[in-house]
Amino acid sequence: MSWARERAAVAGENKSALLDIGRGRGSGILAAVRHYLWLMIFLAAAAGLADQPAFAGQASAQQPPPAAAPPSPMIVLDPAHGGIDTGARGENGIVEKDIVLAIARTLRAELERQGFRVVLTREADTDPSYDDRAAAANAYRYAILISLHIASTGKPGTVRAYYEQFSTPLPPPASPAASPAAAQARSATPPPASLLPWHEAQQPSVAASRHLAEILQLELARSFAGSPAQPTGAAVRELRSVAGPAVAVEISSVSVSNAEMLTGMAAPLALAIGRSVDAYRAGSVAVPKS
Amino acid sequence: MTRTFMVALVILAAAVVIGLISLRGLRRHMQRMAVPQFAEEQARREVLAPPISTASDVPTKAEIFWAAGPDTLAPVEMELPLSADPAVRSKQLIEALVSRPPTIGQRTLPPGVVLLGFYVLSDGTAIADFSDTLASNMPSGILSESLAVNSIARTLASNVPSLRRLKILIHGQEAETLAGHVDLTGFFDLNPAPPASAPAAVATPPEIPAPHPVPAAH
Ligand SMILES: [Zn+2]
Repeated sequence: MSWARERAAVAGENKSALLDIGRGRGSGILAAVRHYLWLMIFLAAAAGLADQPAFAGQASAQQPPPAAAPPSPMIVLDPAHGGIDTGARGENGIVEKDIVLAIARTLRAELERQGFRVVLTREADTDPSYDDRAAAANAYRYAILISLHIASTGKPGTVRAYYEQFSTPLPPPASPAASPAAAQARSATPPPASLLPWHEAQQPSVAASRHLAEILQLELARSFAGSPAQPTGAAVRELRSVAGPAVAVEISSVSVSNAEMLTGMAAPLALAIGRSVDAYRAGSVAVPKS
Repeated sequence: MTRTFMVALVILAAAVVIGLISLRGLRRHMQRMAVPQFAEEQARREVLAPPISTASDVPTKAEIFWAAGPDTLAPVEMELPLSADPAVRSKQLIEALVSRPPTIGQRTLPPGVVLLGFYVLSDGTAIADFSDTLASNMPSGILSESLAVNSIARTLASNVPSLRRLKILIHGQEAETLAGHVDLTGFFDLNPAPPASAPAAVATPPEIPAPHPVPAAH
């Protein structure tokens, strides 16, 4: 409950800051374009910022400590690919886009049985854009996006979790006025969240996503023998515009002889995801707020 | 009735004739477009394909990162004649990575991949331009695609210390992903930048905000 209030407060601040920047500048098409961009940036930043304090334990001093558990997140399951984008294809006719949709449907049923709220980014053989998929998660105040994939490679039956990894920006060319320390600090400081571009909306949530991926990968290693114990950071296109915790889960692989070997993994996967989300929420709320 | 029929027939015949003429023209136009594209690709390869071995090459122990399992890379030390020039050296290394894996199982990039160009910018940004084969023959998946990109990045980082980051192009264009998963719109980290050097002697005063907003010119 207090999370929601905090988020609303942060969102309110962002909005007024954005409006201030906008005042007295340009008109016509430029203004319209700017207005649209701000709206996107604001939505991304509001959702991204909203999740930050709980992780870092840096909630503002005015906010009282949470009286109850944080609200249950909306789990946004993203069956990757679809439509003309088949994803990976196996020699035995196994097609990634079909398997991930079947698995997503089972996951939704199982997770709903566990008491979670779940939505899918696609319900049929369609191919929403990367932005549409991110927007499906960004529409919720507190959502966790889990993108589902089947790999071409890897030991069949193993499952890997990935979190987004952005490249490190190069330090700016040495400015005569700035000290090296200042230049270094500038390069190390991420851009202000309120000015975050849509295509980097995941940036403020990378630590949160990594934390979730670590919990999830441990569960996956327990449920699916041979899976690694640590998640991997990678430049996964689907995750970069999600303004909140987001991970990709990739099952190996399309090389299995029949599809049931993969779809049959959905039930234990649902248990692993459910336990991970619970542990992640518990970890979030356990952080004492000052 | 007959007159109307005749008029309709004439119009139809004219439409067919016009259609045939324009179809022929269209086909010729398409052929014209197709031929230079192919020739352009050929010419590009010929111009850009460097003499991979140059007179200044020195036999060097290089570390090439090939697959050591489905999700791991391991360096394989091999002696290669390498140039001191970062761009030529990088081409030689990628050429070895593509064409000389010790076993098929260690391959990280599809066979037949051609490095069309390799450029190094003054800030240490490396730009590698690969043929379409890198994307079209790459097994789709986060696991396979990230292993491929990491094998290129780690091989370059390990053997060309001046390179800071890598941009991968496909046939001269920025691609959204490698094969549906790994994002190619950004850069991949190679070697971290050295600590910033001492400030320059000439200093300019810090920018002071104007007291009143200056009307912007549109
Ligand atoms: Zn996929």
